[in-house]
Amino acid sequence: MKVDVPTRARLRKARRYILLYALLIGLAIAVILPISWIIASSFTTRETVWKNALPFSWRAFFPEEFTLDGYRAIFEKDFGTALLNTFFLGAVTVVVGIAVGAMSGFAFARLKFRWKNFLFALVVFSFMIPGDLTIIPSFVLVRDMGWLNTWQGLIVPGLANGIVIFLFRQFFAEIPQDLIDAPRVDGATWLQVFLRIILPVSKPALISAGVILFLGQWNNFFWPLLVAPVPELRVVQVAVSIIGIEQNVNLWEQMFASSTLAMLVPVLLILPFQRYYVGGILGSGLKG
Amino acid sequence: MLKSINLDRWTPAFFLAPALLLLLVFRYIPIVLGFEEALYTNSLSQAGARKFVGLSNFIAVYEDPVVWGSFKTTLIFSLVVNPLQVGLALLLAELVNARVPGIAVFRAIYLIPIAISAPVTAIAWGLALDPNYGLVNGIFRTIGLPRQPFLQSPDQALWSIIGIISWIGVPYWSLFFLAGLQGISSDVLESARVDGASNLRIFVSIKLPLLRRIIAFVLVSDTVVNFTLFAPVYLLTRGGPQLSTHLVMYEAYRRGLVYGDIGIASAIISVLLIVVIVFVAIEFIVLRPQH
Repeated sequence: MKVDVPTRARLRKARRYILLYALLIGLAIAVILPISWIIASSFTTRETVWKNALPFSWRAFFPEEFTLDGYRAIFEKDFGTALLNTFFLGAVTVVVGIAVGAMSGFAFARLKFRWKNFLFALVVFSFMIPGDLTIIPSFVLVRDMGWLNTWQGLIVPGLANGIVIFLFRQFFAEIPQDLIDAPRVDGATWLQVFLRIILPVSKPALISAGVILFLGQWNNFFWPLLVAPVPELRVVQVAVSIIGIEQNVNLWEQMFASSTLAMLVPVLLILPFQRYYVGGILGSGLKG
Repeated sequence: MLKSINLDRWTPAFFLAPALLLLLVFRYIPIVLGFEEALYTNSLSQAGARKFVGLSNFIAVYEDPVVWGSFKTTLIFSLVVNPLQVGLALLLAELVNARVPGIAVFRAIYLIPIAISAPVTAIAWGLALDPNYGLVNGIFRTIGLPRQPFLQSPDQALWSIIGIISWIGVPYWSLFFLAGLQGISSDVLESARVDGASNLRIFVSIKLPLLRRIIAFVLVSDTVVNFTLFAPVYLLTRGGPQLSTHLVMYEAYRRGLVYGDIGIASAIISVLLIVVIVFVAIEFIVLRPQH
């Protein structure tokens, strides 16, 4: 009879495992199913795009007639421009945004100055208030500056990012003092210390900030919708939405194709860098 | 020597200026501008027609049934979506906190929705939820459930939007809870287990209390972010059917940028800003690092 107890315990453990994996797999399906349906449908013709959705068949995930019609059509109407615009926007924002954020993060972490706590509270407060909340007065401001339909209108307002500043401050604050003291004693300026000592040892923070800034620009929709409606400055999210609603509602294969491209880029970016991305956004919440 | 001291004095300003100037101009001035514009009639179409009108835009917010209705809809929406997302995110975090083989793969999969934008998520789910052709109704039919109108029904549209945004929101907020759970010392949990506490008991009596600062942070952040929900409403329902998804940010957009009445749009935003600033201020005080 003694063997009975461990057997029962093991049985209970096995049952827990099965339940756990059933839940994990179920949720994974809830993530993957819609995405794979979108991707599969982007390779079908307009006539067959709905055929296997309702009534539902597994064929919904494997196109019967593989075609690139949807992609061809969206690139004919300048989806390529939108992709390039957004890559450009993302690249500029990453480079300048990192410079701006790392410099101020360094000052908050390592330099002594008056009003430090107050100024840092302003930084934290700025990311507690979502930018979209003040998007209409921001629009008025940028309009009055004459920046509507310009690159600077799209780029400049997003360069200073409170989360990025916060992230750099947290990271720089952990760097050992000795590393900074030695060159300072030798007469290096703070700028030299920042460029030659601090930045080279801060690769994780730089990657986190870069991923956060790029994703932010890639997925930005409301702001470019308002400030840059001209086709030459169109960004990916706005291009997807225009194909999605403002044109003929029958452009399904194009909706699927543009959605696929718009989601593929950030997904391919976040997966290899997940540790950096997650670390970056968590720093802003847990220590704040 | 004197020169280098002088230089050092200006060093913080040099490092801080770009970020602080940009934050001041593009984050803080719009907040002030929002309150200011709310006190004027200001039409996009008539540039010269700017006139001080005191609080009459705020009175209009209260008296206009569509505007005031958007606040009521947003309140109901907030009371549902935020506790729902926080609760589900907690459960998801607890689930992926299990140390079992393959868990890293599942965590990576659950990260995917976070990378996808709200507009693309909205469009994709809008296609999947199509009443006549959509994948969801196809699967419903296969498992014997009746066809649902989803976004086209005044009873289901807001719920559908809540579901769509939670597809992103739940995994996103669960990251914060997972980090919190991983920070709980295993000694505490082990001793509770030795005392015979069940997993449910451990979750409710030990983990939840230890996570309360993070829960408060997430609840406030989620609430504030969801106040600004725009893309799914703009892309899928335009506030309808029968104003059932007419959320306040969409109304501000419609008034300000479709009808060109910046004054009333700013009044709408000002009301929202006051609520948000109060929330965030309370959070600042409650969550101040304990010394």
